[in-house]
Amino acid sequence: MNVDLTREYPMSQSRAEKRERGKSRIPVKCRQRNRFIPGFLIGVAALSVLSLLYLGIDWGKMFSRVPDIGLVFWDLAHLDFSNMDLILSSLVETISIAVLSLLYSLILGVVFGMFAARNVFRVPLLSVATQSFFTFLRAVPTPVWVLLMLVCLGMGPEAGVAGLCVHTTAFFTKSFAQSFESIPDETIEALEVTGAGRLSIFCNAILPAALSQIVAWAGMRLETNFSECAILGMVGAGGIGYVISNSLQGYDYGTAGVAILLVFLVAYCIERVFVRIKKKFS
Amino acid sequence: MEPILKFDNVSKHYPNGVHALKGVSFAIREGEFVSVIGPSGSGKSTLLRAINRLIPISGGTVWLDGQAVSALRGRSLRQLRRKVGMIFQNYNLVYSLSVLQNVLHGRLGYMSGVKGVLGLYSEADKQEGLDLLAELGLADFAYNRASDLSGGQKQRVGIARAIMQGPKLLLCDEPIASLDPSSAKTIMDLLRDMARRRNIACIVNLHQLDVALKYSTRIIGLSKGEVVFDGPPERLDDATIERIYGTSRENLMMGGNCDDPADTADCA
Repeated sequence: MNVDLTREYPMSQSRAEKRERGKSRIPVKCRQRNRFIPGFLIGVAALSVLSLLYLGIDWGKMFSRVPDIGLVFWDLAHLDFSNMDLILSSLVETISIAVLSLLYSLILGVVFGMFAARNVFRVPLLSVATQSFFTFLRAVPTPVWVLLMLVCLGMGPEAGVAGLCVHTTAFFTKSFAQSFESIPDETIEALEVTGAGRLSIFCNAILPAALSQIVAWAGMRLETNFSECAILGMVGAGGIGYVISNSLQGYDYGTAGVAILLVFLVAYCIERVFVRIKKKFS
Repeated sequence: MEPILKFDNVSKHYPNGVHALKGVSFAIREGEFVSVIGPSGSGKSTLLRAINRLIPISGGTVWLDGQAVSALRGRSLRQLRRKVGMIFQNYNLVYSLSVLQNVLHGRLGYMSGVKGVLGLYSEADKQEGLDLLAELGLADFAYNRASDLSGGQKQRVGIARAIMQGPKLLLCDEPIASLDPSSAKTIMDLLRDMARRRNIACIVNLHQLDVALKYSTRIIGLSKGEVVFDGPPERLDDATIERIYGTSRENLMMGGNCDDPADTADCA
């Protein structure tokens, strides 16, 4: 009885009456709670247990190896600068791959973003087709694209650039299209009534208005591309990743340590520089 | 004289069932300054946007400079739109560009493919833009970002962009609704003078009845999508105002009359 009443919260019930009812606790939560949230949490818990069971992780073995992590890092910290020329040249190669793929993708991203944005050509079919095509490209991870390109173009940085471009272009298409769509319709309308063509409107109004957002996206993506590029070297697309994976496999931890440290430093610098640039643009 | 704009029994219903225009007919000649008044939702904006086909109409014909607007598509529609300048309540400039660039946008409709896309304006156009800005008192701001201007200045840039098209007709969608009273007066004066000097017909959507009475050569009153009044401002009597707004004149916010001491005393 009491439970029922607390759940119903009868509005007519006066305060005096409530006090009279005595010790029953005053509820504080929302009347209509989202029943989905507890369900979701239970689901997550169940999935984690199932995954653990399926993978059959050997906890004992894992914990016995924990001290090794410290040892490896200790070895990595013994920096070995004897291979500096190799490390530096491959680092420059990695940066070049990242920058090149960013530049190509920027151009392609603006072009395809223009097709994907609903407010540029006002052809819904074109937008939907472009967006779904690039969603498909995005769904396949970058290393897979690079491996595909390695098969097509052979080992080397070309495959790295091409592979990174696929994913970056797909990413830019989506994000630029969103930026273009965030330009107020009234602004576009104002140019439409001058009799300007759709492409003129895009180049003279939409693109300049979205430029600061494009710079922000490019900065974020250069950072991602650089670190992804480091991974890609490990599958044979050249660059510093190749040096890291090679020296790790050859137990040359000192060289790998230097390379990893440099990757971190460059990534950090890129981030700092773009924070500055973004401030100038806003 | 051939009318520059003719509405012939124009109607518009929106998919949501709203009847924005019902059998609207009127004609506008060169040099006329027409105010369209009416309460919100009476179809003022739809009427204006039907003229350059920003909103396609559902029935009747809009004749602009002897051509039926609704029949036009693509290039011919763009060529027709060049003849109609438009000014907006929220200015709708590209704020990251310079004032002069915004003014030159008015020429985009005249430029061929590549030049228009790259924004390569001719020297003559640039000079005309600068002259126009000087005429509007914005000569010093030509190379400022449009976002740095005040509301009244932004609206003047909007006017310059519309005039830059070399239009035969100027459509103003509540041009002073976001402005302070002094800027509003400047804008209305500029609109009237520039239109008169260039012999451009002007259609202005207004919420301010006193402004409409003061500036226009003709007033069109809309109520629920129908024209209930069409004539010179002198003939707009209290009964007609009541028919347009659905309420008597006393219930309307009227600027201009308030400095009348008797009225103020009555109000207090």
